[in-house]
Amino acid sequence: MHPETGCVVCWCKIASKFWWHSSGRRGGCEIIASVHRTRVILMTSFAEDVCLPALVQAQNEDGGWGYRAAFASRVEPTCWALLGMAGHVDWERAGKALERGYQWLRSSQLPDGSWPAVAGQQEGSWTTALACLALRRLETATAEMDKGLAWICQEWPREGGWWWRILRWLRREENVSRQNDSYRGWNWTSRTSSWVEPTAYALIALDSTPASQRLKLAVRRRQLGEAMLYDRMCPGGGWNAGNPTVYGVPGDPNVVPTVWALLALRHNRSRPENQQSVDWLEQHGIRTNGPGSLALAHLCLEVYGRSASPLEAALQEFYRRNQFLLNVQVLAWAALALSPRPGWLHTAEEVVK
Amino acid sequence: MPRSGQTLIPTFSREPSRVAIRRASSYAGDLSAIVYETLLEFQLPVEGKNVLLKPNFVGPDPQRTINTHPAVVAAVRESFLRLGAQTVSVGDGPALDRDTEAILESMQLRDFLGKALQHVFVDLNVDDAQYVPLKTHASRLKGLYLPKTVLAADFVVSVAKLKTHHWAGVTLSLKNMFGVVPGGCYGWPKNALHWAGIDRAILDINSTVRPDFAIVDGIVGMEGNGPIQGVPKPCGVLVLGNDPVAVDATCARIMGLLPERIRYLAQAAYLLGHLQEEKIGQIGESIEAVRTPFGVLDAFAKARANPRASGNGQP
Repeated sequence: MHPETGCVVCWCKIASKFWWHSSGRRGGCEIIASVHRTRVILMTSFAEDVCLPALVQAQNEDGGWGYRAAFASRVEPTCWALLGMAGHVDWERAGKALERGYQWLRSSQLPDGSWPAVAGQQEGSWTTALACLALRRLETATAEMDKGLAWICQEWPREGGWWWRILRWLRREENVSRQNDSYRGWNWTSRTSSWVEPTAYALIALDSTPASQRLKLAVRRRQLGEAMLYDRMCPGGGWNAGNPTVYGVPGDPNVVPTVWALLALRHNRSRPENQQSVDWLEQHGIRTNGPGSLALAHLCLEVYGRSASPLEAALQEFYRRNQFLLNVQVLAWAALALSPRPGWLHTAEEVVK
Repeated sequence: MPRSGQTLIPTFSREPSRVAIRRASSYAGDLSAIVYETLLEFQLPVEGKNVLLKPNFVGPDPQRTINTHPAVVAAVRESFLRLGAQTVSVGDGPALDRDTEAILESMQLRDFLGKALQHVFVDLNVDDAQYVPLKTHASRLKGLYLPKTVLAADFVVSVAKLKTHHWAGVTLSLKNMFGVVPGGCYGWPKNALHWAGIDRAILDINSTVRPDFAIVDGIVGMEGNGPIQGVPKPCGVLVLGNDPVAVDATCARIMGLLPERIRYLAQAAYLLGHLQEEKIGQIGESIEAVRTPFGVLDAFAKARANPRASGNGQP
């Protein structure tokens, strides 16, 4: 803990006034926790009083964010922090942090147009879609976005090729999971299989381009990706990582992949699969034990026009309990869900309107 | 980083291992006394050290049947603190669900540890990571990004759950180390490991970050279509030892399985530890006294010690 920078453990500027407690017998965090408890009750806006200041404080010197304060900058938390803060541009301290963040993100792009999961890695990953999404608000970043979207279109998962499908067919008795291999989505990392979340991120990122300007390949990838998501839906609605049944036994959906799949498929909201999955989310998402899941579930239910219970008080309670496990990404998701400007999900056509 | 200094030892020159089997009929008993007294017998060099416990937290588990039970995690943590460890943190990187806090809260870990989780728990999925060349190349992986918390720990304890696994046969202390590979680098699930071959990736990970001690929660295990969709199987044991291969081999025998027929366990015996019973010094209960045949999927029927043994190997 440092008197100038505040507490890197709990992100609180208040800590700077109590920094000397860290060497005391009770330990600084106990006292800070009690200060937090008082403060949480008093505050009027969780996003502006806790999430955004914590995000600003967690920003690294280089402009990026790590998954936790003082961790090395990584693409994924940087993208979420940017998206979370961009929804609060009226907040006075957002502008400078955003500017530095965008700069770091642009400088992290690889020559092939992709973004890596870890700095120093020379291979693209799921973070490419998130980077494209985060850079959408930056009018000067169209070249980077175009390169990123082109990479997304050309990045194929490892399964689904003819050779793979023949092998799967020959060994069909041994296949433990049911899936249609001709539907190909996107992978987390290169040379691996399609999974629900990276596919959803890619589909949402592809929405950034006006339909009229989309490459033919992008149109085809979009169709395959959507088909893949529907194919991997759990029986009864909702999604897990991407194995709806294993050995014929239905898998349980999870909140986070369900949210992203539903957001990626939001243009088909009246389809029975969407409605079934939103029903599942409405029932389970609000009762989740995790603040990240809760924030995302809330955000998704709003997009689908379903009523969601008050979010702010619930997030405050989660923060009081475990401070979101100090996870920058969860803070960013909370800021995003509480954002007064939810335009980040708009398609290119909606932005024009 | 102390962990990268570990060396692999061929089995023929490795000292005999020691494994303790302790009865524990339920999670409500005084597990910390059982664990502490057993750890004393191993005379572990943990005084003043930073210890990392690596439990098996797979997904949300309100019934507490999938994950290492929080009572076991709390008992192990308390025991290492009593042994004089400077810090004892708990870290895992769940493979299938990125909301780690939801998983921890679903099983009320905070209540068992008696502390707010951010002070004790490290989410290895989002930890700072460092690229580490792998010490063996059983898989085609040359290296992996691994969490700095794991690499910096003085003493790593795999605190696994006694379960069958639909792809690996069993998931015990070695397979549990899959959880140190960060989702923030490889995604949820860590599919690069599957493509490298699960059995082989288990060997490579353990050759690079071999746990110093292994504890398996077998009070209630899981049989059949584990590690998530299987059937809870009461077994009433805790298995502890200074060699993860020996601990896993002992667990397999307790489950009524032949460890040499579990592919990754058989291969682990070359460099990572002892598989043969005669090389394992048994403490506490005998295997025969606690043997509880677990049902396995047909794909692993050959691993059954008694092929005619019944058990819930559904589906």
